[in-house]
Amino acid sequence: MAAIELREVSRQFGATRAVDCVNLSIDDGEFFILVGPSGCGKSTLLNMIVGLETLSSGEILVDGERVDELDPRDRDMAMVFQSYAIYPHMSVRENLAFPLRLARLPAADIDERVLRAARMLELEALLERRPAALSGGQRQRVAMGRALVREPRVFLLDEPLSNLDARLRVQMRAQIARLQRRLGTTTVYVTHDQTEAMTLGQRIAVMRRGKLVQTGTPQQLYARPADLFVAGFIGSPAMNFLPSRLAGERLELPVGSLALPERLRGAAAGAAGPLVAGFRPEDLRLAASGETTGLCFDARADIVEWLGADLFVYFDVALDGFGPLELPADLDIQTGDATRRSLVARIDPDAGVKAGDRFRLCLDPQRLHLFAGGRAIGDPAGLQR
Amino acid sequence: MTSARGRRERLLWGAGSVLVVCYALVPVAWLLSLSLKRGADLGDHRFLPAVVSLEHYRAVFQDPQFAAALWNSVGIAGLSTLAALLPGLLAAYAIVRLEFPGRRLLLAATLAIAMFPPVSIVGPLFDLWRSLGLYDTWPGLILPYMTFTLPLAIWTLSAFLRDIPWELEKAARVDGATPMQALLRIILPLAAPGVFSAAILVFLFAWNDFLFAISLTSTDNARTVPAAIAFFTGSSRFEQPTGSIAAASVVVTLPVVLVVLLFQRRIVAGLTAGAVKG
Ligand SMILES: Nc1ncnc2c1ncn2[C@@H]1O[C@H](COP(=O)(O)OP(=O)(O)OP(=O)(O)O)[C@@H](O)[C@H]1O
Ligand SMILES: [Mg+2]
Repeated sequence: MAAIELREVSRQFGATRAVDCVNLSIDDGEFFILVGPSGCGKSTLLNMIVGLETLSSGEILVDGERVDELDPRDRDMAMVFQSYAIYPHMSVRENLAFPLRLARLPAADIDERVLRAARMLELEALLERRPAALSGGQRQRVAMGRALVREPRVFLLDEPLSNLDARLRVQMRAQIARLQRRLGTTTVYVTHDQTEAMTLGQRIAVMRRGKLVQTGTPQQLYARPADLFVAGFIGSPAMNFLPSRLAGERLELPVGSLALPERLRGAAAGAAGPLVAGFRPEDLRLAASGETTGLCFDARADIVEWLGADLFVYFDVALDGFGPLELPADLDIQTGDATRRSLVARIDPDAGVKAGDRFRLCLDPQRLHLFAGGRAIGDPAGLQR
Repeated sequence: MTSARGRRERLLWGAGSVLVVCYALVPVAWLLSLSLKRGADLGDHRFLPAVVSLEHYRAVFQDPQFAAALWNSVGIAGLSTLAALLPGLLAAYAIVRLEFPGRRLLLAATLAIAMFPPVSIVGPLFDLWRSLGLYDTWPGLILPYMTFTLPLAIWTLSAFLRDIPWELEKAARVDGATPMQALLRIILPLAAPGVFSAAILVFLFAWNDFLFAISLTSTDNARTVPAAIAFFTGSSRFEQPTGSIAAASVVVTLPVVLVVLLFQRRIVAGLTAGAVKG
């Protein structure tokens, strides 16, 4: 059992600052997720925690004691690699026993622990197999098993599911969550998949370009993103963004204007730089006939995605009279072009909207996020759900 | 039409192969034939021995000089292989895995050494070894063999090590291994084919070398077979020791042929590793 604390941890590779002054504390027994786009420094941070990478500056503490000078084998942490890193010349049994052999445990102990881990991960029938004769999912479980047998203080997992197909990934995701709850071991889990992050973690830290952007529960990140990047990164499909500007107490958007709610008014008036309005696909709903509350506008369905319980409708909005929208490039959101933007609404599948149909949408002002200079502004309290 | 052409093509291929094999094998066959002729028949201008006799083999093995030379050859080639592989493995490992200043320079320098003509240093080495007391000793031969085969060993081994995923080693470190344990228990077993090929290449170099052996030895102390053969004398000063030379040559060639045949896959893999799969 262990609580991990990172103090101003940085790592420089030549001119690249892979990890930039990260402060973080992870509670004992917590399932903690590090998420961010490719190349943002997640693996580097994890490798520094486990001791495979040295720190350029800062310190790492486990249960209040500094560990950043320790050799990996003295840190009592286990790691699962993206490539699994199973030893190909050893059988599954030998793979699982390897860390215990190195720790010079008595043979009887080793056998017992290997068997226990194998049973937990349903690997018993495969113990004598070589890794080459295993499927991807089985290899993944062997890698997990090798981490489990040691009963370490901390589990570190670096994108452990990204080499599996979608079905298996969902299955393994549930299994990992179950295991972690059962063992109660502090776990740091790295992924670039926001769905994985949202479903697994008790707390999530979003990283971008080596920096920690925001830390919080999945609900906090979803409801109160600290900036444009987190807002666009968390949630699928991504949040809709539109350029906007202030006109007295109203906010003008390319689709119309709305009365700014109290919580945003002061901040919007004082904001420097262009304003960006954000709202999630589910914050748009089909207008009831003659409805005028909030901001209602007409749209033409461009693409319709039906997912059984949900219907996602994509539609275009012309940006007439508004400047083009600047979004973080690493968000990878399909932005349209300088004059048009593609938005998405999640609506009731029973409404029967088809591609090419015209329909009317309304946006509840209470659900609006407002950003200036990339940062969220105003009091987000009204957004709690 | 096509089958006629296919047949002609096969015929040409077959003829070509026979030609090349003959070209390569006739001298060896001639050597074998000579070694099996009776002393009196050596000049009989016949390809096959009239009477098969093992008298030269008997003579060669009764000669204490040859027995000593054989022992020297086995010992020196074996120790040279070890002496080249150990530092070769560590150097290859460092070159592949570690980021240090001068890494590329080091690789280039090893290659440069491999291109150095041995004959150019044999003279100075002779003087140096005399004054250092290394002349006509095992270390006196093992040292130059190690030096000249080290680049080969480093290049072969680094090609193999490069193909071993680095994450395996990181995993071993996290599992509680020291860097040395990770190397010995994880990396080395996986690099075994590469170690094999390097070992064979180094061994063959040392086994076959004539230049250093003839220049840096003078007695049975350290003279290896290729050099010893050159010092064979006939039973009288008017008789050429042709038969004994032939028999001795067959005796030293045989293990080489066996080793190469047994491990040819490995050797080819060793020579081409890293060339295809980057
Ligand atoms: N050994 C190294 N030498 C130089 N640069 C490095 C090294 N390791 C990582 N980097 C750089 O540091 C940055 C962060 O790399 P890191 O592997 O931590 O990213 P990541 O978030 O794990 O990405 P991914 O999701 O693709 O695995 C990248 O820009 C990378 O190029
Ligand atoms: Mg990574």
